[in-house]
Amino acid sequence: MELTDAGLVARVLVDDDQHAFGELVRRHQSSVRGLLRQLTRGDLALADDLAQDAFVRAYKNIRSFRGEAKFSTWLYRIAYNCFRGDARRRKELVGINEEQWQAEQDPQTVDPGLRHDLMHALSLLPLHERSAVLLCCQNGLSHDEAARVLDIPLGTVKTNVLRGREKLKKTLAVWASK
Amino acid sequence: MNEEIEQDWLDRRLQEAALYIQDDGFTARVLQQLPTPRPAGQFLRPFILVGMSALASSLTYVLSDGGRFILVEMFRLTTIPTLWVVAFALASGMLVMAGGIFAAMSKTSHLQS
Repeated sequence: MELTDAGLVARVLVDDDQHAFGELVRRHQSSVRGLLRQLTRGDLALADDLAQDAFVRAYKNIRSFRGEAKFSTWLYRIAYNCFRGDARRRKELVGINEEQWQAEQDPQTVDPGLRHDLMHALSLLPLHERSAVLLCCQNGLSHDEAARVLDIPLGTVKTNVLRGREKLKKTLAVWASK
Repeated sequence: MNEEIEQDWLDRRLQEAALYIQDDGFTARVLQQLPTPRPAGQFLRPFILVGMSALASSLTYVLSDGGRFILVEMFRLTTIPTLWVVAFALASGMLVMAGGIFAAMSKTSHLQS
């Protein structure tokens, strides 16, 4: 019988079982790396470095996981903090290079195919809207969980998701009508 | 109603766009970076050390006739000439000071680098 995330966490806590932690990494690596790839706008190497850092931090701080939220939510929060810390170091946080990057993008030059258009439209969103949309709409987190991950008020998450969705809908209007 | 359909459409497309990322050795790389787990029973280590020290002290006390040799050596110390005591104290002080200066210098050069 397959152990739940909570069961695996308990094994790590009690026996310092690295195999159990390995199973947790295997289960969540795709979603964490996927989220970081979107946040870093497709920089695969950076996203994987951040994901590795996030998992190692999770292991070192696993005693602070109290099981109040889902393990994945806790993991997303660590991953998002890794991304933010790195972005700060690179001075790429919203308001510095973010706006410049957006200005450089030409919305007319979208790649063919819905997936490409969707990814492109996502990458055009400001970081706070992109993060909220990715967590809530793509990774299935509730607004409340996303607020915990992003460490912002619930109302702000709702607003960011709404605005992000509106922008995506506008950009993808042609596909929606097909 | 139309709004809801549009939202569902968008969420579905977003979820479909999130392709599964193959592990390709990612988990192994993470596991390599984890700190080495503590060997089982390591928590007993301090208790063993304290127990052995207490046992050794008790044995020494019993075998040395209740620590009589300490009193003998203390008495011998009082018979040493005063000049020797002053020289010994001076040498000890200089040794400690040299150690302190060396530690301070190495710390400063470490911070500067």
